[in-house]
Amino acid sequence: MVIPIPIPTPEPSALSSLITSAPTTDNPLSHTTYQVLHNLQHQHLWTSLKIHNLATTFPASLISGIPPHRVYTHPDEQLYMVERGLREEDVELDRMFVLPTVQGQSWSLEKMAAVFDALPGPADDDEEEAEAEGQHLDTVEDATNVDKAAKLAEYYEYRTKARRTEEWGGKKLLLAMIDKGMGGEGTAVYYVVQEGTVKPRQN
Amino acid sequence: MNNIPDLPIPISHIAGNYFVFSVAAVTFLRREHHICGVLTGTLPQVPQQNVFMGLPLELMPEEARLLVEKGVACIVDEVNFQKKGMQSLVEEDRKKYLKELESQGVEAMQFQMRRKERVKEGNLKKIEEKKKAAKAKATNAQLKQDAPDAPRGEDSVVSLFDDTQSSASSHVSSPRRSSTLGAVDAMGITPTLSHPLLPQQPPADHHIPLPQVPSSYPLFAHLHSKGYFLSPGLRFGCEYLAYPGDPLRFHSHFLVVSTGWDEELDLMKVIAGGRLGTGVKKGFLIGGADEKQQPNHAGDNVRAFSIEWAGM
Repeated sequence: MVIPIPIPTPEPSALSSLITSAPTTDNPLSHTTYQVLHNLQHQHLWTSLKIHNLATTFPASLISGIPPHRVYTHPDEQLYMVERGLREEDVELDRMFVLPTVQGQSWSLEKMAAVFDALPGPADDDEEEAEAEGQHLDTVEDATNVDKAAKLAEYYEYRTKARRTEEWGGKKLLLAMIDKGMGGEGTAVYYVVQEGTVKPRQN
Repeated sequence: MNNIPDLPIPISHIAGNYFVFSVAAVTFLRREHHICGVLTGTLPQVPQQNVFMGLPLELMPEEARLLVEKGVACIVDEVNFQKKGMQSLVEEDRKKYLKELESQGVEAMQFQMRRKERVKEGNLKKIEEKKKAAKAKATNAQLKQDAPDAPRGEDSVVSLFDDTQSSASSHVSSPRRSSTLGAVDAMGITPTLSHPLLPQQPPADHHIPLPQVPSSYPLFAHLHSKGYFLSPGLRFGCEYLAYPGDPLRFHSHFLVVSTGWDEELDLMKVIAGGRLGTGVKKGFLIGGADEKQQPNHAGDNVRAFSIEWAGM
C-alpha cells in the first residue's frame, strides 16, 4: 500500500505576493503595472518608484522612478556634454516615466497622444527644478574640480533652456511591454517614445 | 545650373503613375522642393539595367499632390494630350521644326567660323610683329651691309598658314570677312537637347485634378514641411524613409509608418518597428492626423512619436 506523501503548496512568487498585496482597483491594467514596477525595481534597480493614475478616458497608469544610470541622452545633448568634458555619471539623474502595457492590449495613436498630454511638460518641471537647484549647489561645493563645477552649472542652465525650446527632444516616456500569454515568461521590454521628430541616437 | 523651369511643372499622369520628363524640372524639384522621386528610365539597349536609372522621374502620388497643392506643378493627362496634340500638328509645324534645326546649324557654323577668324587674326598679328622686327633688323643690317637670312625666315613662318598667305601679304589691316558669314551653309547638327514636338506647357484643358493619395498623406505633408526628404520605405518595411537632408548626403533618420487617429494599433508593431529602427541606427516614427482638428494646410494636425529601443 502506497501512502501519498503530502506535497506542500509552493510559496507564491515575489511578484505574485506583490500583486495580491496591492490595493485592488478597477483598473484592468493594475496587475500589468505592478509587474512592470517589480521588474524595474528588481531587474533594473530603479528607485523611488511611484504609480500615477491618469485621468484619461481609458484606464491607464504611469510608473515614475529614478534609474540607476541614464537611460536616454539626446545626441545633441551628448555632443554638448562631450564638448565640455562632462560624463553621464557627472550629471544627476532625472525622474523618468514608464507606461506599462501588455501584449495584445488595445491601443491607438489617440491613446498615445492622450498619455503624452497627461505627462508634465517643461513648464511643470520648473518647481522641481528650483527644488533641485539646492542640490546642484551642494555638488558644486563638494567638487574639488572647480572648473568642472562651472561646466556642470553651465550645462544645467542650458538644459533648462533646451527643455523649454525642445532642442534636446520634447516629452518622453518609456514604453514597457510584458507578455502574459502562456502565463508569461517574465520578460519586460522597454522603448523610448518621444513626442515629435527626434533624431535617433548614434548607437 | 540654377535655371528655373517654367512653372507650373507639368507632371504626366500615365497609367495611374506620375512622371516628370524634364531634367531641369527634376533638378529644380530636388533642389528647391526636397522632392526626389525615383528615377525609372533605362537605356533601350540595356533594358535589364536596374541601378543608375535615368529619366523619367516617377513621383509618389503624395509627392505629386504636395507639389500641386504648393502651386509648383500641375497634373497633365498625358495620353489625351499626346493624342490631341499630334492630331493638331500641321505641315506648318514641320516646317517650323526644320527651320529651327537649320538656324541652329547656321549658328553653329558661324560660331566655328568666328573662332577660325580669331585664330587667324591672332596669327596675323604675330606675323606682323615679326615682320616689323625683321624690318628693323634688316635696316639695321643694311646699315651694317649684311642681311641675307631675314626674308627666308619670314617665308617659312608664313607658309604654315597657307590659306592666309595672300591676304597677309596684301591687306593685313582688314582681314575680316564677316560679310560672307551670313551666306555659309548650315551645319548638319544633332541638337544636344531634343525638344518635344508638343509645347512644354500643355494647355489648361489637359490638366486633371489633385491625385488620389493614401491615408498617410497628412503625415507625409507634415514631415515634408519640417524639411525632411521622403522616399518610399519598402527597403525597411515601412511607408516612408525620412532623410534630414538630400539622400545623397545623409543617412535617413526615421522609418515612418502612418496610422489612423483612432485606428486599433497593435503594440507589437511599435516594438517591431522600434527594434528594427534601432538595429539600423534609425528611429521608428509613427504618426497620424487628429481628425478632430481641421488643418489649415495638410499635415498641420499631425502628431508623431519617435521610438527607439531603450537598451534595457
